[in-house]
Amino acid sequence: MADHLAMRRNVASLLKGIDRYNPENLGTLERYVELQAKENTYDLEANLAVLKLYQFNPMYFQLNVTAQILLKALTNLPHTDFVLCKCLIGEAHQQEDQIVKILHLHDLLETCQFKTFWSEITGNPEMIMGIQGFPDSVRKYICHVVGITYQMIDKDVLAELLGDLSHEDLKQWMTKYGWSEAGDNKVFIANQEGNVKSKNITEKIDFDSVAGIMAAAAAH
Amino acid sequence: MYMQSEEFVEGNAYDTYAAYGSQSHGYNQEEEYGLHSGDPRQDLAYERQYEHQTPTYILPEVIKNFIQYFHKCINEGNLYEINNCYENNFNKLTERFFKNSPWPEAEFVLPHVGNDPLFLILYKELYYRHIYAKVTGGPTQEQRFESYYNYCNLFNYILNVDLPVPLELPNQWLWDIIDEFIYQFQSFSQYRSKLMKKTDDEINVLRLSPKIWNVHSVLNVLHSLVDKSNINQQLEVYAIEGDPDSVAGEFGSHPLYKMLGYFSLIGLLRLHSLLGDYYQGIKVLENIELNKKSVYSRVPACQITTYYYVGFAYMMMRRYQDAIRSFANILLYIQRTKQMFQTKSYQYDMIMKMNDQMYNLLAISLTLHPMRIDESVHSQLREKCADKMLKMQKGDRQVFEDTISFACPKFISPVVPNYDAPKNNYHKEPFMLQLKVFMEEVSQQIMVPTIRSFLKLYTTMPISKLATFLDMSEDDFRNALLCFKHKMKNVVWTKGSSGLEGEFQSASEVDFYIDLDMIHIADTKVARRYGDFFIRQIHKFEELNRSLVKMGPSSKQ
Repeated sequence: MADHLAMRRNVASLLKGIDRYNPENLGTLERYVELQAKENTYDLEANLAVLKLYQFNPMYFQLNVTAQILLKALTNLPHTDFVLCKCLIGEAHQQEDQIVKILHLHDLLETCQFKTFWSEITGNPEMIMGIQGFPDSVRKYICHVVGITYQMIDKDVLAELLGDLSHEDLKQWMTKYGWSEAGDNKVFIANQEGNVKSKNITEKIDFDSVAGIMAAAAAH
Repeated sequence: MYMQSEEFVEGNAYDTYAAYGSQSHGYNQEEEYGLHSGDPRQDLAYERQYEHQTPTYILPEVIKNFIQYFHKCINEGNLYEINNCYENNFNKLTERFFKNSPWPEAEFVLPHVGNDPLFLILYKELYYRHIYAKVTGGPTQEQRFESYYNYCNLFNYILNVDLPVPLELPNQWLWDIIDEFIYQFQSFSQYRSKLMKKTDDEINVLRLSPKIWNVHSVLNVLHSLVDKSNINQQLEVYAIEGDPDSVAGEFGSHPLYKMLGYFSLIGLLRLHSLLGDYYQGIKVLENIELNKKSVYSRVPACQITTYYYVGFAYMMMRRYQDAIRSFANILLYIQRTKQMFQTKSYQYDMIMKMNDQMYNLLAISLTLHPMRIDESVHSQLREKCADKMLKMQKGDRQVFEDTISFACPKFISPVVPNYDAPKNNYHKEPFMLQLKVFMEEVSQQIMVPTIRSFLKLYTTMPISKLATFLDMSEDDFRNALLCFKHKMKNVVWTKGSSGLEGEFQSASEVDFYIDLDMIHIADTKVARRYGDFFIRQIHKFEELNRSLVKMGPSSKQ
């Protein structure tokens, strides 16, 4: 971990001012991407800088590093880091097999087709090999979406959304988010009724805004 | 610093170009040398005469007087008069004499201003800018190169010094310099990428001049201006209501450097956006409070450009609330200050175009993320884009594509094309990429407006039933509901100066939650606001009344 902090500080200084466009820094930045993948840490700005250097210097483009950056971006959903990365990767590279697969994963996650996502991952585990903690990061995102949508959810449905979790593992996630058992195989997420209520917003004109007008009218 | 600042001016390329020039103009060297008199000015006039096959150019009296007066004002640092010459006289004379043709070449102007090299640079800045904007056919390849060298000379003059230069120019001009510098870079990048219709000669010159309008040079200029002026430090101190002069340093306290530094930040926002790096675009503005009422710069074109690119960046980042707020604010600003722009030609056209583009971007953003906006902006929006918005709400992808194609920036590539194997439509590739990313986002959200319209009809409904209404399987519908919630939760700026900061919020008027197999829907009905509008109109009327009274005792109330 201390390794990562030192690296982070070093990288931050490389990204200052005009130095961020210096292709000689690519080696260090690429190693940093690898480090993030291994140690389950994340630095969006550094990764975008790598993609930008590839954009400016196409002869230095590396497919593996780009794939890693994209996978790391998926771990930061619901933030739109992945979209930002896409905007910096040329169309030709986006047609490469390895990238196409990752783009597809992104699409599935953004449209919340979680069941399909998990079957893709199970079918192609080598895709996410090397990205430490990838499945759990995605589960965090899924729990976020479940948390803003459901008041009460069927336990089996929840387990499926999270990648066919065992009831053991599911319990851990429920504890993490403070979701309680609600009998008869149900899970209570949150009291959404409080947040999601029909409202009638009427305008309130306060006295101060019309005081001036009224005073002027009285003066005539 | 990995790039030396001396590298602004590229000596080698000059020689390449001179060689090209003599080839294309078919100089007959013998004859030309034979008729040289030895007096440089006469010879210059003679060369021009020979070259252009027209009689020696004589500057019209009114132009000559203007040039000399302009020169005098700049030398004296008379900001008010410089501004007058720059904003009014120059444009009036352009209208009258040079509507679609270039101003006199710098060589003809030079003798009338005592061969002042600085004035020459400033004059050329205007000269080339006018060619880009108004001359039929635009600039030739040679003119593009020469304009670049002129900018190099200008920035060398300003930056390659130990002490601040004794030059003062109006803020409008300083903004226009940065704005035009980036515009010409953008124009050249596009020009360079269109190889199909060029002659071999033209392509060869391009191939031999990789440093012309190089992206690194442009970045270097902008970053140097930012660094030299300490503008970021100044803005930080300004934000906490301290005294910027305390951190400005020798150069930064000088208005020329300070404002060029500030405008360079906006320039970087624009440059990064043109290259598809929206994160970096917003990041460079992190010390500028975009939501503050008071503004650092009073140049309208600067404000408008800022919010156009900020709004666009937010939109691509799926921060629709922030995008909508940016667009609505600046569109209101334009509505209120429109009268100011009438006389200023280039600015007016550009501002009106951006105005239209922003209405279109607002239309897209509001379709994807409906929310309340200012009433006067909303009515203008309905006037311009009601039809489009209706079609987009119904999921018409083509309308999304057409709208964003019209409204988006002219994206460019930082890389030179392959001169040996030119690709057709290489210049369109950067745009196609951004379009693709955007349309993929649209595809992911295509069901959202339809689901929203169905949700508005009910308060409670079994999921299976609503799924059948929408002709979807229950599984697919549940996914779509999750997707709706996910897409409607944007990162929204709440506080601090950095535009990148924010919290996840949902401003959806139609909201719901799922309880096992039931969906519970809430609709927020917002009554129309009229108070603000009436108060504003009453004040305006009062003003009008007061000025009528002032006009004469006979005016009735």
